[in-house]
Amino acid sequence: MKMMRWIIVFLPVVTATLITVAVREHAAAAPQATSAPVAGPAANAGAAMTGGAMVMMGGPLAIPNTTTAINSATPMSQRIVHYEIDAHYNATTHTVDANEILTYHNLTGQALDHFPFHLYQNAFQPNSTFVREAKVAGNRDTGYDKWEGKEYGSEEIKSLEVVGQGDLTAQLQYVAPDDGNKDDKTVADLHLLKPIAAGQLVQFKIVFQTKFPETQARSGWKHDFVLGGQWFPKVGVWWHGAWNCHQYHAMTEFFADFGVYDVKLTVPQYEIVGASGLRIGEASNSDNTKTYTYHADDIHDFAWTASPRYKVKESVYQAQMGPVQMRILMQPAHWSQVDRHEKILRESLEQFESRYGPYPYKTITLVDPEDAAAGGMEYPTFITGDTSWFMPEGLYEPEVVIEHEFGHQYWYGMVATNEFEDAWMDEGINSYTEVKVLDAILGKSTSIMNEAGATLGEREEQRLGYISAANLDPIAQKAYEYYSYNSYGGITYGKTASVLLTLEGIIGEDTMAKAMQVYFMKYRFTHPTKEDFLKTIEEVSGRNLRWYFDQAIYGSPVMDYKVLKIDSFPVNWYEKTAGSGKDDKNTVYRSYVWLQRKDSFVMPVDVEIKFDNGEKVRERWDGASRWTKFIYEKKAKVESAEIDPDHTIQIDRDNFDNSYTQEENKKPVHKVENYWLFITQWVGQALAWWAV
Amino acid sequence: MAENQGLLADGWRRLGLNKRYIVWFYLLNLLIAGFGTAAFNHQAGAILDHSIYSEKLLRGFDIGVLVEMIARPEFGPTDASATSALHFALFFLLATALFLPGVFQGYASTYRLPREDFFRACGRNLWRFIRLLIVAAIVFAIVAGALFGIRMPLLKKAAESTNELLPFYVSLASLCVIFLVMTTLRIWFDLAEADVVLSDQRAVRRSIGKGFRHMWRNLGTLLGAYVLATIVAAIILGGGILVWMKFVPAASVVGAVIVSQFTLLLLLIPRFWQRGVAVSYYLRNMVEPITVQSFTPGPVGLVAVPVVSEPISPKAVPDAPTGLQDA
Repeated sequence: MKMMRWIIVFLPVVTATLITVAVREHAAAAPQATSAPVAGPAANAGAAMTGGAMVMMGGPLAIPNTTTAINSATPMSQRIVHYEIDAHYNATTHTVDANEILTYHNLTGQALDHFPFHLYQNAFQPNSTFVREAKVAGNRDTGYDKWEGKEYGSEEIKSLEVVGQGDLTAQLQYVAPDDGNKDDKTVADLHLLKPIAAGQLVQFKIVFQTKFPETQARSGWKHDFVLGGQWFPKVGVWWHGAWNCHQYHAMTEFFADFGVYDVKLTVPQYEIVGASGLRIGEASNSDNTKTYTYHADDIHDFAWTASPRYKVKESVYQAQMGPVQMRILMQPAHWSQVDRHEKILRESLEQFESRYGPYPYKTITLVDPEDAAAGGMEYPTFITGDTSWFMPEGLYEPEVVIEHEFGHQYWYGMVATNEFEDAWMDEGINSYTEVKVLDAILGKSTSIMNEAGATLGEREEQRLGYISAANLDPIAQKAYEYYSYNSYGGITYGKTASVLLTLEGIIGEDTMAKAMQVYFMKYRFTHPTKEDFLKTIEEVSGRNLRWYFDQAIYGSPVMDYKVLKIDSFPVNWYEKTAGSGKDDKNTVYRSYVWLQRKDSFVMPVDVEIKFDNGEKVRERWDGASRWTKFIYEKKAKVESAEIDPDHTIQIDRDNFDNSYTQEENKKPVHKVENYWLFITQWVGQALAWWAV
Repeated sequence: MAENQGLLADGWRRLGLNKRYIVWFYLLNLLIAGFGTAAFNHQAGAILDHSIYSEKLLRGFDIGVLVEMIARPEFGPTDASATSALHFALFFLLATALFLPGVFQGYASTYRLPREDFFRACGRNLWRFIRLLIVAAIVFAIVAGALFGIRMPLLKKAAESTNELLPFYVSLASLCVIFLVMTTLRIWFDLAEADVVLSDQRAVRRSIGKGFRHMWRNLGTLLGAYVLATIVAAIILGGGILVWMKFVPAASVVGAVIVSQFTLLLLLIPRFWQRGVAVSYYLRNMVEPITVQSFTPGPVGLVAVPVVSEPISPKAVPDAPTGLQDA
């Protein structure tokens, strides 16, 4: 026993030593990356692709009309761009050296003399607009309290040739159309020597190098993992008579034209790779690298991932237009959850196809990333989930994230709205459909959590997001103009979902479902505006809903109704026997119910008034005035009044004051109080345990 | 091991003979926490009492409704409730320090300590316990600060590993080590507290030194006993919450109150058991002999008698320590 004291003394030292050794061993055990050769000159990128993807290289300019990667005999989008990229990833330096050939079809109806390009990875630099905004308004992954070298990212165009006009690298200029930040390099504008006439095609040959930061904003590396998102120079979108090419902001996502992607990705031999589109080739190289070839049709972005430690599960889902190959790349520590991932992906596909329309692509790749900063992201036919090694069955975080990101295949992937300017149209509409789909799959009040007696539903979570920032910004606002990251999240996701759920109560759930389906089928593979969406709802419902949209979408008034007071007294109150209880059944009472509109959002509401004889009365109040009252004379006293008794309104900031009962019910407060009391007592005991 | 069992059993016996202290401290804990939660109850009651929506809280543990209540501006800042609850939790800590000397005195007695003796012990040792509390707080803060300071870079290093579980294991292992070290410190100061009360030691530093020496000499035995009691506490807490969640209907407020309060009552037992162990150890090993001259006829000799705090009650006779012969 006397040895025990020495054990106690040495235990911390021994443990610390063992842990240090273990950590070092793990770090050493990670596969050593080999240097990938730097890409050759741009001319090398012209190698012909294999498989069914017909690529016009060196011949007359054209956008391919391939359908290799979709379950359709004909192209599904108006294809504006064709990207051919030959990229080499260096896993040691986390850089990509690549040649890109971009063929652009000028369908703008006018000559174009300049082309803006997104260089998104330049956002990860200390003076970029992205970092400046993140420092002030907040950010999902990092607040940039101090700058670390590993947070640096870059995207450098080494050379740019316009076929027929020669090397125009010198013509490139960084521009900052949104905020004039001279240090922001996320957009470069190229002035051509000769304009490209309407209907003509132009080809850009670009040599570039991208350096990824440690994972930020769902892109970059962590340990031996990499997520290649927004990694290549991407041309802006000609939209409403002008180029739409915003800088990369802390709160914005992306916007691009549909087209065809042919991507060759060369990585170290040991890497396991996943990417957008269909893998059509795979070849080992003599320098210990491997080249994967991907082809994708009718998409507007291309992302990829690589890690030596992925465990892969593949299966097939029979979609309405044909089979879809589901490829799931899991972290080894999460392999036990692979069936959960597959199940929710399959169920999401089923739900979206039955509710909104067919999924036309032949693949969907689901990536379980190494780092949460890379989790929960959507790219066409490629999404990232988010889980951890400890994930009880009743915590539905993986399910929620996967469903949400899969939903983006519809609301962003196919219905390709402008995420810079109308973030609510992808995130918000997607959050709304997330509520509908997850309610159907996991239950209405348990779709976020159903563990150990505690429950949380998706619609409640969206509502909580909304009320946390209810009065700061309108929905219809450019994403980078929100007050804060919290306001952006609360309004874009939560308020939009709550507004659309409330709309169900106005036009009917079935009508809303029909409107969503019509909207998807009408606007898939296009870039619809907010009015396209709102008018579709009006057309399908046959109702003028401007009064609602003006307040809920375009404005920032908050809805907050309240049962101000209820009261009853005998009509013959002045008589001595009035209300004495001797003849209650025959006593006539005058009852008052006062309702108040506390805030500025005006909306007609139903009210249910209950009397103590069991009678119920329904009234409707247009909410036009600040308050109203209903008066009744009955042989019964008013027992309670409830605004929105069918609970169709999700945007009322405060649900508690939407009802009032004459009789006090202490049970709820006692229940809540008991939790708080327990915690307080326990904290007191714990303090006393250690301190005295 | 036998020594360990003896201490645990004797500590348990003392605990059993003085069950009322557990009940008193439980009532004190409840009363103080009741004050601490008054602000919360008032705020929540104003929102929930007349609302039909609040009935959703009775249909299970609906996190959304609960968060919505707290998020409501009318609820007021959550800091108001949390700060007041924390202050009252601290108040319970001070109240424990105030009444603990009486507990030590009671545990050392073979008879039921009269109430006035209990409070006299409390009063006599109040300032000593405050000094002990201050010294203990300094020692705990330094050691905990150092250990957590070491833990931080270890966790950071572990997070660099590609093994996602490694940070968890490192965290767990380091917390276990910190727990053992902190428990060791607790033993040290429990022995010092026992010495201050039972030896009526005014010089607290002497008790601290004595406590440290004995803790160091018998660390294995004492640490084993303390860790066992802590494990019992963890089982009580886990078991109580499990019963609460699994067997109490969501709408049963009375059931929830009974289970939660019974859990908290039981949760006091392990710590008082540890104090019983400390007293038991003190009486066996820490009582110092003094020398007195015998006036009885015959050769002058030295007789060893134990020094414990003066038994106030005329009938009070200190428990005969089993380790006396060795002293």
